[in-house]
Amino acid sequence: MKILIIEDDKLMCEELSNLLQNAGYTPIVLKDFKNAKEEIIKLSPDLILLDINIPYTNGEVLLQELRKVINTPIIMLTSRNTETDEVLSMSYGADDYINKPYNPTILLLRINAIIKRIENNMSITNYENCKINIKKGTITNGKIEIILTKNEMIIFTYLLNHKNTIVTRDELMTDLWDNNEYINDGALTVNISRLRTKLKSLGLEDNIQTRKGQGYILI
Amino acid sequence: MKFTKYLKDKIIEITFSIFIYFLILLLLLAFKSKIELIISLTIIYFIPFIFITTKNFYKKQQFINTLLNNISNLDKAYLVLETLKKPSSYEDKLIYDAMYEINKSMNENIKNYEEQVYTFKNYIEMWIHEVKIPLSSLTLLVHNHKDKFSKNSQRQIKKIDDYLEQILYYVRSENANKDYLINKVNLKKSITAVALKNKDFILESNINLIVENIQQEIYTDSKWLEFIINQIISNSIKYKDNNKESFIKIYTIENKETVSIVIEDNGIGISKSDIRRVFEKSFTGENGRINGSSTGMGLFIVKNLCDKLGHSIKIDSEKNQYTKVYITVSKNKYYEVVK
Repeated sequence: MKILIIEDDKLMCEELSNLLQNAGYTPIVLKDFKNAKEEIIKLSPDLILLDINIPYTNGEVLLQELRKVINTPIIMLTSRNTETDEVLSMSYGADDYINKPYNPTILLLRINAIIKRIENNMSITNYENCKINIKKGTITNGKIEIILTKNEMIIFTYLLNHKNTIVTRDELMTDLWDNNEYINDGALTVNISRLRTKLKSLGLEDNIQTRKGQGYILI
Repeated sequence: MKFTKYLKDKIIEITFSIFIYFLILLLLLAFKSKIELIISLTIIYFIPFIFITTKNFYKKQQFINTLLNNISNLDKAYLVLETLKKPSSYEDKLIYDAMYEINKSMNENIKNYEEQVYTFKNYIEMWIHEVKIPLSSLTLLVHNHKDKFSKNSQRQIKKIDDYLEQILYYVRSENANKDYLINKVNLKKSITAVALKNKDFILESNINLIVENIQQEIYTDSKWLEFIINQIISNSIKYKDNNKESFIKIYTIENKETVSIVIEDNGIGISKSDIRRVFEKSFTGENGRINGSSTGMGLFIVKNLCDKLGHSIKIDSEKNQYTKVYITVSKNKYYEVVK
């Protein structure tokens, strides 16, 4: 998954690249702002993070130009935070609009949401020998069907999307809050242990492991 | 304009005229004039005097009354000169022209200040946007290198961001320019954004956030609304009661014409004597003195923004029990029609 960063602040580019790399994406940084449009088309990224204040042109203009030729998802990242700016960008065809300074975990969630929307396979996924139906909120291994609560499903899908990588409690919490489930630390622990018990009854024992001081990992 | 007071102003002319009259009277008596002549002369002497004085009074009164009336009826009193007829007498003309000059120079002065404020405002906006760039780099740095930064760094960055937003919205709310855009706003989306922004603070302070019944769509500026809710939630976190299990509850009360967003907490509350003054500029009150780091600007800006957007805001509180903030937004049919 190639993500193109269009941003003129060097440190920002570097750190944004780090963040995306750690999350398993391939970041590329736009160097030639003079021929931005042609350069972007040549790089053919899967998603674009676009700043409004860029040299030679302006993010909004570039966005309009790009929309005439490609429909790659574009997330606007900007420190301009008026409603007018946001409405304009969205009407020019941006897929999302995030204000600086942003919470990095939320940026990743938004990227993930857009990618999921394109792939359009939100509702049913597989894990091990189990089928997960997100819309119905169930997991089944063919014989037994387990019903997960909304919170448990949010946690489980997050872990599943980050399979084999360590997921921090903060990331899980951010995803839950982003889905309007404002639970506290204690409730998160309870939800995870319930999720474990439910998975155990499907024969998936110890699939969610605790990494002390770091978080959880789904293997 | 009162006649008696007017006469008092003319006291010198009047006494002088009466004094002259007595001199004439003395002369007439000395020459042993007939009583008929004395009476005739008295009448001839006083009639024009009385006539001129009253005429002058009525003329002046008419002018002054229109002036005062127009001033009190105008919301911008300085425009009064435009409503008056140009006077015909030489003396009045001079005064009229002088007033015109004064007005003109005042207007020039105001224009100068307006320009200064406008440039300053633009500079502040630009400056804040500039500052937010290193601030977001810093946020990413802290996130990517958790081993080198303590969790406290994130909290400090959030504080800086909150203070920056405060000046930004202060500048926006104090200015006559229309910086907002009324739109159909999904309340849930705005509240989620604010909740996420305050997530770490709420969790670390062991506050339970309860959000219920916020499915409405309301007409407002989402960015301004988010700032307003963020200020109120920040206060709830700041003034929580450490002796009990704290909560912040956000819900709505809907009726035919309005939707009220209610933000309720069980914090230390606001005392009766302070509650009327919480929206005043720089008012910190009892709680501010206890807390120390209070500028008294937060709620003042919130009130200003609400006024601009046409929302009403009300605070209800019981000391050591609860604080409830109601933001009431009218369901404007007008917008529906325009759409």
